[in-house]
Amino acid sequence: MTERERILRRQAEWQKSRQAVPWPEKIRQAERMRASIEAFRRMRTAHQPPVAPVLPHGEPTAKD
Amino acid sequence: MSAAPLPGAGDPATIRTVKEVAELLNGMCVAGVIKDYALFGAAAQMRYTEAVATLDADVLVATATPGGLDPLAAIHAYGRDRGYAAEGEAMRVGAWPVQFIPVFSPLTEEAVDCAETADFEGVPFRVVGAVYLAVIALSVGRAKDFARVLGLMESGAATHADIGALAARHGLSDAWNRFVGRFLDDRA
Repeated sequence: MTERERILRRQAEWQKSRQAVPWPEKIRQAERMRASIEAFRRMRTAHQPPVAPVLPHGEPTAKD
Repeated sequence: MSAAPLPGAGDPATIRTVKEVAELLNGMCVAGVIKDYALFGAAAQMRYTEAVATLDADVLVATATPGGLDPLAAIHAYGRDRGYAAEGEAMRVGAWPVQFIPVFSPLTEEAVDCAETADFEGVPFRVVGAVYLAVIALSVGRAKDFARVLGLMESGAATHADIGALAARHGLSDAWNRFVGRFLDDRA
């Protein structure tokens, strides 16, 4: 077995083991993932440049 | 590699929250606000697969007054009376925005009728079964729904034959055949 195959097999075994975790624990994991996603979204929003105003006929004044 | 819990595992706040969702829904049934309910979507999928990212909890509801102008009005009034705030179309229960979706087809109606009663750390929680989850996802047909079907099949919770049979019963054979051709048929 090559090193790559060994890594893939370990990854598959790890994924299976995550599947066997009790449902309430998976819900907890999902909640932590969601907290991370929301934190990333807040960071992205905070770092976004101000949106260019839109002219009356609907054409934006600048491209993103 | 072991399946050691992630840091922060065992946080009692989450369990309280999800138990609260189950208790709220069970209470609505007892009060006659809804006839029945079943959790579906990603939160239900996680009974069978590894944890997946999701922003809310989706609940299919069979309302007491199907076909009314606002089938969710009684649900939101029930929640409001108990201090649960509306958040857009959802209701915030602890950390979870809960989306109530009235049954919208014979398939979703049957999914609620045939839902399983899971035990969520001591609280009964009605949950859509794996095959129904897969066929509902197939009927919606976005990329993440296809990933859900594949995840459920890979976990062994829903078989090719069972999904095909349920899809056929609900007029979704074409969608299923396209899915098989696209994702499962090595000859394609």
